[in-house]
Amino acid sequence: MNIFFLIIGMGMCALVLLCLYRVTFGPNVLNRAAGLSAVGTKTLIILLLMGVIYDRVEMFVDISMVYALLNFLGTLVLAKYIKQSGEVEC
Amino acid sequence: MIRESQDVIVKTLARLLVPFIVIYALYVVMHGHHSPGGGFQGGVILAASFVLLAISHGLDKIRQRLSEKTAGILSSLGVFIYAGIGLLCLLLGGKYLDYGKLSKLLSVEPAQARSLGILGVEIGVALAVMAVMCLIVFTIFSFDEDSGGDE
Repeated sequence: MNIFFLIIGMGMCALVLLCLYRVTFGPNVLNRAAGLSAVGTKTLIILLLMGVIYDRVEMFVDISMVYALLNFLGTLVLAKYIKQSGEVEC
Repeated sequence: MIRESQDVIVKTLARLLVPFIVIYALYVVMHGHHSPGGGFQGGVILAASFVLLAISHGLDKIRQRLSEKTAGILSSLGVFIYAGIGLLCLLLGGKYLDYGKLSKLLSVEPAQARSLGILGVEIGVALAVMAVMCLIVFTIFSFDEDSGGDE
């Protein structure tokens, strides 16, 4: 069963690379913000999969909840900054 | 200067989310010696709830709840709790932060006194970290209003 979760985790890592492409070469800053948010969500899933593989889910659930909270907050602050700086119409 | 957000989604989400964030931060502080977390991490999560309120409801409303002066007093209070528990152990005949000596004061067994002492120290750390993080964030957010005359 661990092999199954390991393969899912490796697939998630490949998807993180795809999102990282959008963050690096995104045409404007809104695409980059959305890509960063997607990378954060995928990192959260990878953390939970690591918890399942190492057989300590109850520990990794705590960490991933904090990660989800800070990811949401970071995206919100970034959106606020982009709106107030006035570089992009939104 | 961070103004109040006009978006009803952001405001409602922040209002619904903040109580859960605070309860989770208290869980991280209280459960720090069994699971990942502790005083510093709990304090940062508590400060995150203030940041969320500041960017959704405007900085002015948050300053009414937690002004810079209150934050300074709270940070000093946190350091005082930490150092006070350490010095109390020193006065009761142990080493600095030797919580086992608190058992005479709390009239419990030494093992339980150690657990309670660590909890008290972590509450102090959480208070100090929360207040200092809020101070840093408020200072960054209100940067342009202080230097408004120069520009």
